[in-house]
Amino acid sequence: MDTKSTPPPRPHQIPNPSRPDFLACWAAASPSKPMLAFHFLRALSRIHGVTTVRRRTRTIRRAAYSSMARAASPRRAWSRALLGQARARRSRTLTGRAVLLRRRRITAAAPPQPSSPASRSATIIAARGEISTAAARPLPPRQEGEPPRADALRRLVPGGAGMEYCSLLEETADYLRSLRAQVQLMQGLIDLFSCQ
Amino acid sequence: MSSRRSRSRQSGSSRITDEQISDLVSKLQDLLPEARLRSNDRMPSSRVLQETCNYIRSLHREVDDLSERLSELLATSDMSSAQAAIIRSLLM
Repeated sequence: MDTKSTPPPRPHQIPNPSRPDFLACWAAASPSKPMLAFHFLRALSRIHGVTTVRRRTRTIRRAAYSSMARAASPRRAWSRALLGQARARRSRTLTGRAVLLRRRRITAAAPPQPSSPASRSATIIAARGEISTAAARPLPPRQEGEPPRADALRRLVPGGAGMEYCSLLEETADYLRSLRAQVQLMQGLIDLFSCQ
Repeated sequence: MSSRRSRSRQSGSSRITDEQISDLVSKLQDLLPEARLRSNDRMPSSRVLQETCNYIRSLHREVDDLSERLSELLATSDMSSAQAAIIRSLLM
């Protein structure tokens, strides 16, 4: 894959004072790069002893989304949704393992498995942040002026299901900015690693 | 004028006007990578939403790909020394 050069930083848009405060605070700061780097690197340093490349890839991807959510302001709904998904995944894995241990003690014949295939596929889907694995909520159209394309957007942006159309647009823009910063950070890390 | 007033009356409890929504859509359009290629004329909002969905999906794929490359690199290199060098270069 050809190396991607980082795009030049965008000039900050100065909020128009005549617009309502609702828009002014939205055009505010892009995600803080040092905080992003700190959270991601701390998560990376916690990875030791995971031998399979596939599992390490999954752990790194989850660490990327979690650190992106932590570096963002907790005011953001997508940040809270991502952290909630990670927390639910961790508790579900633990309960799954507890059930497996109990079954193993009873039967004492089943081979040890880290997680059942059903829960693993569910966690992979949840890790992508695209589909909610808990009972698939029907996405209600919140406003009459909302175009049908917003449905796909709601599925892509974490926590987008329960939002009004206006907040959805706002959250999407912030999520896009954070995603782009995260991708730039990871690309920079890879460049640094491969130069050593 | 009257059409906008009747439209805002139709939307009921939400006090968001169409102008604010179009403002948000244009800001989304500015975030897209193609905004640099074409002139910043307003695309129809459905087009902006579609391009945003495609962009988010491509960014997700890129995160997956980069995490795979990172995991391969982490397997081969020593973490602690590389980590110290990276932190030094990133935060200073």
